[in-house]
Amino acid sequence: MTQELRFRTPRFSERLRGMLGVDFYRLFHTPMFYIFLTIAAIIPAMVSAMTTMPDQNGNTMEPLYSNVWQIIAASEPLYVINTIADYANMNMVFIFGGIMVSIFIGHDYKSGYVKQLFTTHAKKQDYMMSKSIVCAFAMVCMCITYFIGGTVGGMLAGYSMEVNVVSLVLAVMGKMIMSLGWASLYTFLNIVFRRYFGISIASSFFFGTGILIIGVAAVVESLPLPTTFLNLFLYGSSVNACLTSDAGTLITCVLVSVVWAVFYNLLGTLILNKSDVY
Amino acid sequence: MNAVEIKNLSKSFGSKQAVRGLDMTVPMGAIYGFIGENGSGKSTTEKMICGLIPKSSGSIRLYGKDNTDANVRAKLGVLIESPGCFPELSVWDNMMLQAENLSLPDAKKQVISILKTVRMEGAASNKYKNCSLGMKQRVGIAMALLGNPYLLVLDEPLNGLDADGMRIMREVFTDIVKDGNRSIIVSSHLLGELQKVATHYGIIRHGRMIREMTAQELDASCRTYTALQAKDMSRAKLLLNSKYSRVEVDEAGYIRVYDPVPPEAVVTYLYENGVIVTEIMTEKIGLEEYYIDLMKGGN
Repeated sequence: MTQELRFRTPRFSERLRGMLGVDFYRLFHTPMFYIFLTIAAIIPAMVSAMTTMPDQNGNTMEPLYSNVWQIIAASEPLYVINTIADYANMNMVFIFGGIMVSIFIGHDYKSGYVKQLFTTHAKKQDYMMSKSIVCAFAMVCMCITYFIGGTVGGMLAGYSMEVNVVSLVLAVMGKMIMSLGWASLYTFLNIVFRRYFGISIASSFFFGTGILIIGVAAVVESLPLPTTFLNLFLYGSSVNACLTSDAGTLITCVLVSVVWAVFYNLLGTLILNKSDVY
Repeated sequence: MNAVEIKNLSKSFGSKQAVRGLDMTVPMGAIYGFIGENGSGKSTTEKMICGLIPKSSGSIRLYGKDNTDANVRAKLGVLIESPGCFPELSVWDNMMLQAENLSLPDAKKQVISILKTVRMEGAASNKYKNCSLGMKQRVGIAMALLGNPYLLVLDEPLNGLDADGMRIMREVFTDIVKDGNRSIIVSSHLLGELQKVATHYGIIRHGRMIREMTAQELDASCRTYTALQAKDMSRAKLLLNSKYSRVEVDEAGYIRVYDPVPPEAVVTYLYENGVIVTEIMTEKIGLEEYYIDLMKGGN
């Protein structure tokens, strides 16, 4: 006896909701996520504390920061760094996030989950979107723990708390919004290097440190170009979200983050559609 | 309408051509035994059917639609190489995640039912990484069964299963196709086991389909042979070897004469040469021997 076969196209919202459900479940059930949240909190606290620690002779080094909030964001946009203090702010979250995304996506391929996924109705575009959203969420969480760690560490180190609250809030929001662009970049990189886990991590680290933009900035400074054009890039825009931020900074961050997210998602989808699933 | 219809399918990896102009037809309700040597192109073909790797040329139609159609893909159950399970999560969690990916409305009910079907209900809380090879295979099949698929593509699903596990799988396969619409493609090197369930066969070699047939056609084209035991086995073998073109000793110690001769003629010949036959029977060659014959170029 035969029964009628019914085929139904799953809606985009259904597909994405299912995939997001799985990815969020995995995120919250993996120790890696909590380890990275802890790292994000400890690093700024350690940097603050270490800079005020006395050496063997009881002398303390010159403090790296003059203000607690410089651990969160630079005083003004600094595309070329001179000291570790210029570098050590919330932008470090994007390096931790890059490594976390590599491990997260690496597990998808190693376990064969991707194969299982792509043989069903799941589309490559859904996969890119789901990973970007979940990893962006993880980075936003890291921004929060970084903020808590940095603030507590800075207070314990005795730094000044003076700040323009509006600019601080806008800077933190700008960096959180940039998480989407960064997460999309890392997802894309991990799709490109999906067969080589080590290269995926290395490339995420390389881009996360903003080495390229720092190099570009050095060239721009020597040319008659406005440095604001660096804000078009992920690292540049993340640097732009500083303690002098205004509404324009936030809008720049939103636009840059969304544009890069769309760009990397489309490119990643194209690559996935054209390549074999291992 | 057929469950799977493949025409002139080819796939190249660089200069290496893995599948060359393959044609394949899997009727609805069939358990299709897909057979071939290692590297013959079985897995590549299965991966192309499932859309895991894009084809170089040709067409793949599943239930009359292109294999990239999302409607059809939603009704595909697959186990290729390994089940896509997260090792740190339990069997239950892995099943539920897959159910969520498939957007199943009655996920919990379906997972419970399928775990019962594959006799894994008692191990649902085990972490996947702690499961034995056989258990992992059962989980893989359970994952493939989620969502009530119309077409199952299973690559070596019987590997690592014990005798009971194989029996259960045979029952599961037969149960799935009994409504006449659902179909299964199974590739396996365990030809004896495959023969117990397959209704159709496809034999692939060097990326080409060299034979497609039903179980009945296989049965009709399988030759009979005479198997015997004698008091003096070594002399009997010597004598039979000198008279007939193909004589072999099987694993059970029987001498097999494959030449098309009546058993009486064999007994008489041995008796006339002073060898007493203690047991004799005629049997048909199985899928395994048929396959070996085919690979050697005979039949």
